Amino acid sequence: MSKIPAAPLLYKLLLETASRRRLWVSLVAMCCGMVLLFSAVLIWWNFNQLLHGTAATDDLGSTFLTVSKRVTNENMGHPDATIFSESELNDLRNAPQVQDLGIVQALQPRAYMSMQLAPGAGFSTIMVLESVPERFMDKKPSDWHWQIGNPTLPIILSSSFLSLYNYAFAPSQGLPQLSEETIKALPFQLEIGTGSQMQQYTARVVGFSDRITSLLVPESFVQYANGASSGAVHPSRVILKIDDPSSTQFAQYLADHNYVTNAEQLRWSKFRTIVESVTLVIGLLALMLLGISLLVFTLFIELTIARSRSSVQRLVEIGYSPKMLQAYLFRQFLPLLAAVVMLALLLGFGLQVLTHVYGKTLGLHFGLLPGWPLWFCALCLMGLLVIQLKMATRIKV
Amino acid sequence: MSTGFFLRISGLLPNPLRERLSVRKSDVWMQDLSWEQGEQIFVQAASGTGKTTLMHSLYGLRNDFVGQIFWQATETKTMSAEAWSRLRQQELSLVFQDLRLFPELSAFENLEAKRVLANYISTNELKEWMDLLGISDRADKLGGTLSYGEQQRLAIIRSLLQPFKFLLLDEPFSHLDSGNIRKAAALIAAQVQRNGATLILADLDDNEYFPYTQKLSL
Repeated sequence: MSKIPAAPLLYKLLLETASRRRLWVSLVAMCCGMVLLFSAVLIWWNFNQLLHGTAATDDLGSTFLTVSKRVTNENMGHPDATIFSESELNDLRNAPQVQDLGIVQALQPRAYMSMQLAPGAGFSTIMVLESVPERFMDKKPSDWHWQIGNPTLPIILSSSFLSLYNYAFAPSQGLPQLSEETIKALPFQLEIGTGSQMQQYTARVVGFSDRITSLLVPESFVQYANGASSGAVHPSRVILKIDDPSSTQFAQYLADHNYVTNAEQLRWSKFRTIVESVTLVIGLLALMLLGISLLVFTLFIELTIARSRSSVQRLVEIGYSPKMLQAYLFRQFLPLLAAVVMLALLLGFGLQVLTHVYGKTLGLHFGLLPGWPLWFCALCLMGLLVIQLKMATRIKV
Repeated sequence: MSTGFFLRISGLLPNPLRERLSVRKSDVWMQDLSWEQGEQIFVQAASGTGKTTLMHSLYGLRNDFVGQIFWQATETKTMSAEAWSRLRQQELSLVFQDLRLFPELSAFENLEAKRVLANYISTNELKEWMDLLGISDRADKLGGTLSYGEQQRLAIIRSLLQPFKFLLLDEPFSHLDSGNIRKAAALIAAQVQRNGATLILADLDDNEYFPYTQKLSL
């Protein structure tokens, strides 16, 4: 950028008499508009982050759905009718929003679990054990592995089962309530298979899952035990990783194929509508405020130029070029606009940090730093302001 | 002396003066004239004959004329505002009849605003010139508070604070006494020589301020 000669003199001639109040009002309004717009962008972005969570940060468990075929009066008597065929599985893999598909494998041999809570007090039950590929698990404890010949079997228990036991079963049966720590410390006796095929294991709960309502054992164990009992495995439940669980397309796909899922997960589509309406309203308000403030700012500059009309004329007469004067005015106002954008960005930044901190207390992991949409939005705004300033400072002779 | 830079006018007739000038003969209006660098021209013009109109047309401040003006090979009507700015910074200077100083700037600032554009004359030299024309003590006074005579001396100095090939003077000494005219004319002559420039002076009455090479009647 070339140096502009006589800048202090130009200030005296063009800007000294300008009314500052209008300028400040327009800049403050502009900053408010930007902060509002950034808030709308951040709300939208954070909500999407929450929904499109990766396995590590999927706080809501919302992107993993277990899907099975609906049991109806017609297919009740035919167990095969609820089993997914290979072509149906392939179709599901290509369904809208589906990123990954894992088969929920059930243990085929009978599993009989017993537990001694106190001398003379205990319970035993027939259990269903399942496994899912490890990439679908929300919590994978460090001792989550099993090898052939290993007599100890790790189990992950659905949190809702523990609640059912603690709040419904234990009080009614006069059994002690159990904390997560206690359950982890208690060994279970597990008998797999019947008769001569029967094998005994010591099972230990190593973790609790919110995502999968089942009793999970390592996949390697299910494969081993099922192999031993022979017979091919046909899945009747699959677990899906969904890109956007609020997608109505996906909900429609499930309905069309008569598949059922933990329906609660689909409530996100309703939240999405609300969040989108809120961000839309805030965004529109912000744009309106920005538009008005930009108009006042533009008028301020045009008024300033009109007021110093005779000075501008005289400057051009003694050899100043209109472009030079425009460049001078442009450089006078650009730092102000840049400062407004920076301040609004800083406030947006602060909002995101607050969201991050507050989210933590709710067990939700929001990013500490705002994502690219905010930067993109700020960049677009800056571009718009530069263009507007260029046009407003144009000197017509 | 020909250095290649020239000013040419051809069939020039300002619209506002059309009727009056069509019945009267002029050495300038409706004529083909060409001036090269180094000449000293005096244009004698009675009131209302278009003296200031001519100066402003040559300086690009008005375009309401028929005919053509050429700076070098370029017709002035086709020149952009930017091109005129370059010309007014490097080639062409004018002392306005109505002086046209900035009333809100001090005398010194009025000169400085022009000086920094080309940065051709040093501040020291500028101060020497103010001294020479006896307005040093007015340096800090606002342009609007100076007398016409002081303003005219400032306007003269201002016109010399740039390199120029043509210097246009529109009644440059109208508010000065003979002593100050002598000093101002000497300063102008020295700078015209330093720049190897052409001088065109327009005034009401005949004069011998400069050794004119051509006298024209408007």
